[in-house]
Amino acid sequence: MRWFTFFCILICISLFQSTMINWINFGSVVPDLYFPLVVYYSFLVDIKRNTIANWVTGLTKDFLSEGSLGMNSVFFVAVGLFIWSVRGILFKGHFVTQIFVTFIFSIMYNVLYTLHMVISFRSLSISTTLWLIFACSLYTAAVVPILFLVLSKFQPTQGIFSIKDK
Amino acid sequence: MRTSTPSFTNLIKNPLTTITVLLLISLVLLFLPPKLSGYVKVTCTAPFRPLQWAACLCSNSASNFFDKIITTWKNAQVKIQLEEQISYLKNTITEQQDTIYKLQNKLQTLSKFQAEGKSNKVNTVPADIISYDTSSFRKSIVINVGSKHGVKPNDIVVSDNALIGRVSTVGGGSSVVILITDPSSRVPGRVLQTREQVIVEGNSSKLCQLKYVPRWAKLKIGDDIVSSDIGGFYPPSLPVATIVENKIEGGSLFQSVKVLPKVNISKIESVLVITR
Repeated sequence: MRWFTFFCILICISLFQSTMINWINFGSVVPDLYFPLVVYYSFLVDIKRNTIANWVTGLTKDFLSEGSLGMNSVFFVAVGLFIWSVRGILFKGHFVTQIFVTFIFSIMYNVLYTLHMVISFRSLSISTTLWLIFACSLYTAAVVPILFLVLSKFQPTQGIFSIKDK
Repeated sequence: MRTSTPSFTNLIKNPLTTITVLLLISLVLLFLPPKLSGYVKVTCTAPFRPLQWAACLCSNSASNFFDKIITTWKNAQVKIQLEEQISYLKNTITEQQDTIYKLQNKLQTLSKFQAEGKSNKVNTVPADIISYDTSSFRKSIVINVGSKHGVKPNDIVVSDNALIGRVSTVGGGSSVVILITDPSSRVPGRVLQTREQVIVEGNSSKLCQLKYVPRWAKLKIGDDIVSSDIGGFYPPSLPVATIVENKIEGGSLFQSVKVLPKVNISKIESVLVITR
């Protein structure tokens, strides 16, 4: 894993997510471009680098988002560790697996995040929030094939699209 | 690069320390006081702001360029009609300017009396939006004015003469604005037509909801909500939203009312900060 490439990718994703996301949103439904990055590196690298990469990704999202500082970094590290621990039993080279894993874990992450917000603000309506969680997770999962393809071009030595671990 | 297979020994050796240290740092950050946390965020993201500003500028320019192409292609006939309307409106403006000059003299006299009674000075600072919130469930923007321009926390932010939010954190050259659609936002308001007192609350979607509207309140779809000066936080009579959905459910004490903010934040590029 090349850290320089990782930071470049992170800066590009942060820039796109914070400035140009209106180009690809559907009303309130926006994809979380950080999340595929978490899934990608959890599939890809060893646990130590995976944790650091996910922690940095979460902290970057925290810095550019309103809300508690450190919340996303904790969530991303937890999600990353969980994906890393189950990756052995997954056929991670197939794009359907990548989409499915991203969708499931994105829903889990969004549920946890909104639970934190419900406790903090008590202002979210259940139906709207559930719909937003589902739609945002689905949209996030939908951008995975494109994003994984782009990421694999920049990290070409990793072989994520191979069937077996190298 | 070689990727290791998941094994317990790998987890125990060095990575466990890394995970613990990183989680500890996150927990420390989580329990920072909100003011300090905001200050840390603004300071750490300050070097990133010019990049965001440039990206936003490029994005807006590209968007405007494509919009122009489409508009030119589609609306050749409409353009001619609009030009006719413009010339008509220009004539109307000239007529009205004459009336304005007459009224200005009267207004100046009135203003002198008002100025003596005013204790709070209100200024406005124009600002460009340089970035949006990266979370799907929080609604905030970053603007390119800060304490250098006289902006302070809790200043009011408007666009098209309608309320869009308040300043939450201020840096030297940028500030974070919490929008009225953010779940943490509560705006005291009034229904323009019936004078009912309400609270406009954000819920992460493009719509807001009204809290504590009693069952007997007669609200209609299309009624306007304006800000109220109760609490002295927001200036009175700023347009906030329009009612789009109104339901009275079975045994609930209050009505379930959804409102659409007057300003669509994804369609604007600049705002006005009212400093006090």
